[in-house]
Amino acid sequence: MARTLMRFTGVGGQGVLLAGEIFAAAKIKTGGYGLKTATYTSQVRGGPTVVDITLDDEEIFYPYANDGEVNFMLSVADVSYRLFKNGVQPGGTIVIEPNLVHPTEEDKKKWNIYEIPIITIAKEEVGNVITQSVVALAIANTFTNALDKKVLVDTMLSKVPEKVHAVNLKAYELGEKYAKEAIAQGPAQ
Amino acid sequence: MSTREIISTGNDLAARAAVDAGCKFFAGYPITPSSEIMHTISDLLPKIGGAAIQMEDEIAGVAAAIGASMSGVRSLTATSGPGISLKAENLGLAQMTEVPLVVVNVMRGGPSTGLPTRVSQGDVAQAKNPSHGDYKSITLCAGNLAECYTETVRAFNLADRFMQPVFVLLDETLGHMHGKADIPTAEAIKSGIKPRKTFDGPAEEYHPYGVAQDEPAVLNPMFKGYRYHFTGLHHDKNGFPTEEIETCRLLIERLFNKVEAHQEEIDSYEEFMMDDAEVMIVAYGSVSLAAKEAIRHLRAEGVKAGLFRPITLWPSPAKAIKKHTDKIKKVLCVELNIGQYRDEVQRASGRLDIEGLFKVNGRPISPFEIVNKVKEL
Repeated sequence: MARTLMRFTGVGGQGVLLAGEIFAAAKIKTGGYGLKTATYTSQVRGGPTVVDITLDDEEIFYPYANDGEVNFMLSVADVSYRLFKNGVQPGGTIVIEPNLVHPTEEDKKKWNIYEIPIITIAKEEVGNVITQSVVALAIANTFTNALDKKVLVDTMLSKVPEKVHAVNLKAYELGEKYAKEAIAQGPAQ
Repeated sequence: MSTREIISTGNDLAARAAVDAGCKFFAGYPITPSSEIMHTISDLLPKIGGAAIQMEDEIAGVAAAIGASMSGVRSLTATSGPGISLKAENLGLAQMTEVPLVVVNVMRGGPSTGLPTRVSQGDVAQAKNPSHGDYKSITLCAGNLAECYTETVRAFNLADRFMQPVFVLLDETLGHMHGKADIPTAEAIKSGIKPRKTFDGPAEEYHPYGVAQDEPAVLNPMFKGYRYHFTGLHHDKNGFPTEEIETCRLLIERLFNKVEAHQEEIDSYEEFMMDDAEVMIVAYGSVSLAAKEAIRHLRAEGVKAGLFRPITLWPSPAKAIKKHTDKIKKVLCVELNIGQYRDEVQRASGRLDIEGLFKVNGRPISPFEIVNKVKEL
């Protein structure tokens, strides 16, 4: 496998960090290398946050994504979308929460932008807004095919308390369903 | 040595290392980006009969850790640059009284409160001389996740060997990055613990500071029947204040010499693709990760670059640096400060033409910035 670089962006407090940890740990479980780094501001909540996830079969040294090399980005906040979008390679994939992120017409030409209402799905269909990081996890893996679903889901379940396993599984399945639908529909024009 | 695989962050690994190395006491005050060390260790220590205390401030944190060490237990404090500034006076006390201690500094942007959540290597010069007066700092610097663990372990053994505080420098990137570390098993660490020397002869023959000029004090744990005195003043062989001319000279010279005379026990560095290198990159901490990635790219383009990575920053591996700089013309120091270690490479090499690539805006240096700089040389 060539190197996969994913970037999750949001604002502090949304829980984008956990999804990154799950990806890295799942890749390591398969015998490969995975690294997660997070960059955030000194504001506790509300500051732009970016999580870079690097997955590779070879040893990874530098833990951040170089600008222009990110294959897949997911964004749930406009401020961080604007700050970090240029890390994505031209023609790369960006999934946005359309209620919160507003790409320009030019952005839509440069990248394949898909709209999935991640937070609405977590809040209304799963029934718990905290599960948005698992919805995001499912979407990212469905788009990138980075990891075997079972390994990823098992790793995810090992990181959350048992009493919330069911709700997180539901979040994963919904994320995957919406991602498949979005892929079938094609990027926003 | 048997190893185990842990998926974690640098801060978490440093805390686990302390516990595996026999640390029984932690005192500190939470500060970004080091707080997770306190978080982990305050979970682990009570389970094994140790104690972790959140003190009222940074100064009290180091003071309590020094006090615990005086009683004979391995003791840790962790902080970031602003915390070291506050702890400086007590770190000088520990140097003067020869109390072992491990201090982990997870570096962030400075001076002052600076950039709390962002990466820096701005405390390298501070680690050499945090307090006033003459002594010789021992400062280790982790360059990857596994070393956040192994260097913390080494720091505890060096602190007890040389009877003084030992710094472990991490930086925000290493402290917070999450990935795989292959580290020795806890049993292997435990069997390698070298506890501090003690004196077990008659109490009247015990002179804790009356040791050879290249040896550290022999401090028996308090409350075991051996009486002596701790003071930050110049002191005699029993620890009582003195201004006697020769005693004062010998004390401070010994603080210096106990480290200098045994540097081979402290030296540690990595040479990465240096065998045929025509460009020598000097980098440490998380920056060395970018440097290694840069070297991969440079080698693919036919540029013979190599990395010299000091792991013990202070005292610096000056002889090993000079061995390379005598042969290699192009030398580049890459640092997240404005050349705090380039000064040392200049000193060690005796050359003033050491190039630098420096960044101080809280952002990491990318491999491609290094590639481009090397091509300009």
